[in-house]
Amino acid sequence: MQWWCSAQGQPWDWTWRPYVGVWLFVALIAAGYVALRRRYPPPEPDNGDGRHRAAYFVTGLILLWAALDWPLGALGASYLASAHVTQFLLAGVIAPGLMLLGIPRGAFGLIERRPTLHAFLGDLTHPVPAFLIFNVGMTVTHWPGVVDAAMVTQAGAFALDMAWVFCGVIFWWPLLAPIPARPGLHPLMKIGYLALNGILIRPPFAMMLFSEYPIYSTYELAPPFPGTNPLHDQQFAGAIMKLGTAWIMGVAAFMIFREWMRTEEAAEDPSVPSGWPI
Amino acid sequence: MVDDEGSLTTDNPAIFDALRSPYLGFRSVFFFPGVTSMVLKPALMLVALLVSLAACEPPGSSDELDSSPLKGSIIETGGERPRFTLSDTDGNPYSFEDETEGLLSFIFFGYTNCPDVCPIHMAMLATVIGRLDPADRGRVRVVFISTDPARDTPEVLRRWLDSFDPGFVGLLGTLDEVNAVAESLLLPPAAVPVNAGESYIVGHAASVLAVTPDGGTRVKYGFGTRHEDWAADLPLLLQWKAQIP
Repeated sequence: MQWWCSAQGQPWDWTWRPYVGVWLFVALIAAGYVALRRRYPPPEPDNGDGRHRAAYFVTGLILLWAALDWPLGALGASYLASAHVTQFLLAGVIAPGLMLLGIPRGAFGLIERRPTLHAFLGDLTHPVPAFLIFNVGMTVTHWPGVVDAAMVTQAGAFALDMAWVFCGVIFWWPLLAPIPARPGLHPLMKIGYLALNGILIRPPFAMMLFSEYPIYSTYELAPPFPGTNPLHDQQFAGAIMKLGTAWIMGVAAFMIFREWMRTEEAAEDPSVPSGWPI
Repeated sequence: MVDDEGSLTTDNPAIFDALRSPYLGFRSVFFFPGVTSMVLKPALMLVALLVSLAACEPPGSSDELDSSPLKGSIIETGGERPRFTLSDTDGNPYSFEDETEGLLSFIFFGYTNCPDVCPIHMAMLATVIGRLDPADRGRVRVVFISTDPARDTPEVLRRWLDSFDPGFVGLLGTLDEVNAVAESLLLPPAAVPVNAGESYIVGHAASVLAVTPDGGTRVKYGFGTRHEDWAADLPLLLQWKAQIP
């Protein structure tokens, strides 16, 4: 029985395979969220805030599940660099942001009641270390030696995926999740933070796109996936990484800008519904 | 602009609001006691571990096993060019010794229905050879010997090889003939399952054998040889002279 998607060394076929560890992981997160929602129900009147947050969280969890489970998880672990990068965008960028957005606001009071945790998270999720952690994490987890060493075992592949999720949560925290007693980032700073991450050229992207030969032995030596060759697939992966990241940052920046404008208008004209504070 | 009291003002307060954010304070940028003690140290250790993983060479790499500059393993030097004759895809006899005189040759035993090793080796060789100068490209010959005579007809083999490089030579013979050649080259013989039906896997040597232009040196490249390894060795092999004691 396979617990987590890792490099197989077998020719690809479209026969479904169960990855029990992925199901358990997703189920644990879902159970934790249900418990959190029960303990911290949305305040009355809700104005749809509770439903919105639940929708965000569930969407993020579904995307996380799709990224880690068959077929995308199996393709990304063994056969295609482009599938691997797509997994990263889903599990390491999009899903953590959506799930963080879905956490009940009252739950963050837990942080305030634990001074050590408050200090730890407060510094960890400061924009500067958060930016560094995300980008260093992204670089290291896409480094050829690291990918090739990790993907051959289920434990290594699991560690890589968890590193993505962790870095993604840290990345989005300064934008989406309040640290009690700490003022949030100004919307302009949030947009600047996202813009910087959108335009930054990270080494793995450059390596994928401009290397003369495949850089990942995992995909170079895998049984050929019909209709692809490893070098072209790797270049495609580099394009997905760059354009995908830029697009996600752009969409998030737009949403923040839109909500900022709504909030400003609501402050000037109370009859205008205020934006949902991100 | 500066107001009457000497304070900075602006028609765009949003920018100043942003700049006044405590997140940009010098103190908060450079002083992270929580991060330093609880995160940065383990994070740096993790990064060091991951970097050391990345720097590790795989066990048994050729650089460890012999002192030659080649990525492949030299298995014979000072010898003679292999001598064998099989049929090519046009049905004509192909004498390896005569046809590859003065050429850098790569010999590989495989079959067209191979799901992994064979197409990977052929694709890599085609890519790397294709990037040589035309003059050097003409001095290289890839010889693919089929280990599946039942399914690999001359037409099937030719079509398969053409998908990689039309210049690749395909040779066929009976299984006994092919295995005799393999054993003469110190490679394991192929194993075809008995009564296997139409779809079966053939066991065969996974290594490519390079024979230098002077015929005197044979270099073995196992499965796992990468594009960059071939690209590094091809120029060296083209110039290789056998070390005759």
